[in-house]
Amino acid sequence: LQEDYFVKADLIVSELKKCGITHVIGVPDNGSRAVYELLWKTPGMTVILTCREGEAFGVAAGLYVGGKMPLLLIQNTGFLESGDALRGTGVAMSLPLLMIIGYRGYATLNSNNPARVDTAASFLEPTLKAWEIPFYLMKDDAAVANISKAFGQAQSESRPVAVLLVGEAS
Amino acid sequence: MMDKVECLKRIAKYRTDEVVITMMGVSRPWAEISNHELDLAWVGSAMGHAADFGFGLALACPDKKVVVLNGDGSMLMSLGTLVTISTHPPSNLILIVVENGTYEVTGNQPIPGEGFVNFATIAKGSGFDEHKIYEIDKLDDLEATLPKIFKEEGPIFAVLKVKPEDEPPPIRRADHSAKYIRQPLAEDIRKLKAALTK
Repeated sequence: LQEDYFVKADLIVSELKKCGITHVIGVPDNGSRAVYELLWKTPGMTVILTCREGEAFGVAAGLYVGGKMPLLLIQNTGFLESGDALRGTGVAMSLPLLMIIGYRGYATLNSNNPARVDTAASFLEPTLKAWEIPFYLMKDDAAVANISKAFGQAQSESRPVAVLLVGEAS
Repeated sequence: MMDKVECLKRIAKYRTDEVVITMMGVSRPWAEISNHELDLAWVGSAMGHAADFGFGLALACPDKKVVVLNGDGSMLMSLGTLVTISTHPPSNLILIVVENGTYEVTGNQPIPGEGFVNFATIAKGSGFDEHKIYEIDKLDDLEATLPKIFKEEGPIFAVLKVKPEDEPPPIRRADHSAKYIRQPLAEDIRKLKAALTK
């Protein structure tokens, strides 16, 4: 099923700059590729691609403790893989980690055929709730402001907070 | 094969103001030798991710050397990190794998590849400079090499071949014999961040 949601990548990057993000760590997917491509051209931003998403949490934690402001930019599949890394860094260390998580399969959630529902999507919100990670949806340009809201909550509560990127950034 | 504690004593002898992150079977013995505000026990965090953390810290603090005393089982959990490090190589990172061939704190079950896995070869294949990869199995060689490891530009990758022992699982608790394993992890992280940014 086609993902019919689009968010402008330049708006996302502008919002990240407003938050003072210095490093973006993760693994690109189709939803985030335009954001990555723009980040590589953005002065003051360092992009670090990791081999697996769990690794990105350790890198981000180290950057934060060393005085930088990291963002994790990963897909829901990689987030699901990263459970213990998130627990052992962001949660156990009480780190204000901002995550943008690609919501692969969002459009399949309303399918009448359960076999057509992408479990990467159907597992995501229940997993975030079970792991007690606050999250915001980002389906359109107006919702880009949720990045700053999530960032503010992460900072004030010293915990990881997620923004779920629905569809493809363009 | 070397004695683990003797290796740690020699590392402590040459350590000055580097951050030292310890993992699993190394965490408690290190506390018997060192009491430094830049020591961090990776106890209560996520196994396999100490090297990732050390890499991020080294990137953030280019003027501060970061030493990760990783286990071999822990290193196997995130071999991709070696490639990530080589892609953004921090000159201030010293990654040491303390190789005993076992999961020591759970009773010395053999790690996958025990007896044939070659971490130095993996590091080389992952992009580490072969002149900055060390494989050491004698204390005299360790003593001779450590000044270079601490002095030269990294990233450095060193494998220390040690005998398995019977270290119990490190668990954070208020009455732990090792002072730096008494506080909750978040508290130690807060202190480390404060020490690094003061």
